[in-house]
Amino acid sequence: MGSGLAGFCAYATLRKGGLEPAEIAVFGTDPDPAAAWRVRAAAIRQRRMRSESDGHCAPSSFPGLAVRAALRRRSPAPLLRSVCDRYHPSVDEFLEHVEELRAASGWNESFRLGRVESVRAVEGGFALDGHGVFPHVLLAPGHPGLAWPEGLADDPRAVHAYEPHDYADTVEIVGAGMAAATEWLNALAAGASVVSVRRREPERRPLNLPRELFSRRGLAGFHRTPPAERIALLRRYGAPSYPAGRDWDEPVESARKSGRFRIAPELNGAPQVVCATGFKRGFRHDPLLARLVAEHGLETAGDWIVLTPESTVGSLTDGARTLALAGAPAQWAFPAADTLMGAKYAARRFLRRVNAWRTR
Amino acid sequence: MAYTLRGRIESRVAAALAPLIAGCVLALAIQAWWPVELAGLMLGVGLLFDAAYHRLVPYQPGWAALPLGLLELAAIMALARPLHIGAPLWAALLFYAASWLLAQVLAHAVFPLVRLSYGEDGGELGRAGAGVAATALVVLAAAGGVAWATQPPVVHLAAGVHEGPLVLDHSQQLQGEPGAVVRGGIVITADDVSVRDVTVVGGEHGIQVDSAERVLLERVSVLDATLDGINVRRGQVTIRDCTVSMVGNEYGQGIDISFTADFEPSLVENCLLTGGQEGIFLDSVHAMARDNHVRRTTLRGITVTEMAMVSVEENTVEDALGIGIFCSDYSMCDIRENSITGIRADRGSSDSMREGYGIVSHYWAHAEVEDNDVSQSPYEMGEFADAHITLE
Repeated sequence: MGSGLAGFCAYATLRKGGLEPAEIAVFGTDPDPAAAWRVRAAAIRQRRMRSESDGHCAPSSFPGLAVRAALRRRSPAPLLRSVCDRYHPSVDEFLEHVEELRAASGWNESFRLGRVESVRAVEGGFALDGHGVFPHVLLAPGHPGLAWPEGLADDPRAVHAYEPHDYADTVEIVGAGMAAATEWLNALAAGASVVSVRRREPERRPLNLPRELFSRRGLAGFHRTPPAERIALLRRYGAPSYPAGRDWDEPVESARKSGRFRIAPELNGAPQVVCATGFKRGFRHDPLLARLVAEHGLETAGDWIVLTPESTVGSLTDGARTLALAGAPAQWAFPAADTLMGAKYAARRFLRRVNAWRTR
Repeated sequence: MAYTLRGRIESRVAAALAPLIAGCVLALAIQAWWPVELAGLMLGVGLLFDAAYHRLVPYQPGWAALPLGLLELAAIMALARPLHIGAPLWAALLFYAASWLLAQVLAHAVFPLVRLSYGEDGGELGRAGAGVAATALVVLAAAGGVAWATQPPVVHLAAGVHEGPLVLDHSQQLQGEPGAVVRGGIVITADDVSVRDVTVVGGEHGIQVDSAERVLLERVSVLDATLDGINVRRGQVTIRDCTVSMVGNEYGQGIDISFTADFEPSLVENCLLTGGQEGIFLDSVHAMARDNHVRRTTLRGITVTEMAMVSVEENTVEDALGIGIFCSDYSMCDIRENSITGIRADRGSSDSMREGYGIVSHYWAHAEVEDNDVSQSPYEMGEFADAHITLE
């Protein structure tokens, strides 16, 4: 497992399913499961989650963060907002929840400092470098690195949105997703003039993907698609989007009227370029996954490793062992795999396999 | 949540299990079938709506449960009457509200706790779903079986003339074959008796109900009774689709229900009453007279008296002498949407009330009146002896 949020969700789910900390090994480079996410959220000055009440790491969707907030504040307002899909927990509330769950779940007992460089299928399971053989492995390696627009990685004017930065007087912000929209507001609030560099208009929707794709209603059809169609769907789902609403539109509209915000298709020499272009995509950018595919001849489609709907690698999974993927690399099974809901989707199915194996 | 069709159905059935069981327990406690019938109707309507929701509501936010719940409630209330589910309104609403609330708690809290993937499975419950569905089916089948087994026996009355009086002193369903006639009257003294498709000729009262509850008289015809066509004392009845002819009877009433104010309300519905002093006479009762046709009476068309509380709705009263609808003696009458025509002044009486009124409120009675059509009569309505009429 990895020690990021996807691994943490899986850990909490396994613990809920009856596994003891000693039965689970978490490999990672930082014992804080929110370490990487925390830095990125701080870099883009994110204050509210895009996810809703059930965007948390606990194994059961109830009680969600709205219930917890209602109890803490002794107010029904979070619940009322939640039933209208308008409750978005603050980043601080989310991180507090992660800390509480980390302490309660025994995460630290299972955490082992160390990066896993390779996974090899062997008799009785999977060998993880020199860490031993494990019958069931869930790989949650996280995003394989920041994506930079061509030619900007070494440009001294350029900074990635997910790296700490301030704002120049004029900022060109590349991208049109949630991070880009957040950066427009940040830069405007800092007094900068903003040029939104984008070649197409972003979609406006509350979550990363249409809601049906978070449940079997939408997933059943997705899982029936042939590879070529699924690749096209996943590429389409990867198009930038951010939520609709006055909080997003009013500052931009006001700045546009005063000449401080405009849209351009190309960069045009501003002193600072903020690249809100997300992460590299595809297993080939992740050394661990690339090696796994190469050594075991795993089936792939485009940038994705082909997975079963249970988020497992079919050719390496049977009644005695399981190799599952969670997080961004698991999109073949769950298009929104890089969300907390996606992490839990993989985790719950992994738990079922582990439990079935334990009770044989 | 984005429910799958199966998820909707499994969640619906699972949430209905507790109300079904509660309905069975309640039915045992109060000795009435309406809780089970209501729980079954709620489940049936819910499943039908689920099929529609599946197409129309691909994603259902939490708030939508409220309008959808109200929509289903309206459908259930609309169906309860034609299905003859005799649930008291407040109790039925309470039962529905509690069931709805329970369903919300189950869907938002309990199901996600016991099945971690409940949300992403679109409300499906896995193996438990089939088990719950089977349990619900067993509960429904058991309740239905008990209902069937405890039904009063059906007694078939063959075609032809049977000499009366026929005394029904134990629970039963008397079903007349086409052409079945009882001469000399029927006397009912037991609870849970129903009489259907029988013609009664003669007798002191055509049909007499004495100290019996939950009596149903359906599609009965009464003629040539000496006193009343149908006479009810200290009982509770539903009289539906009947015909009573009192032509030539100087003193009798078509239907007389008296002294039952401490019983569940009685109902007289869709009956044709011809002749006699009064078509329907309701004395010290809780009752509803609805959609009846009363004609050619010699004293009043419909009478409500002696602290009765009665709804008189959608009836037709025609060609009555003196008064069409009479509300008297501290009674409270809700008189709506009746058609009253051809009320004639009683020239043989010196009583000013009898000068041809469509509606009369008399002696401290209070009538609430709305949307009645009084025509071809000397007076539309009148108040006498400290009585009141309130126009809605």
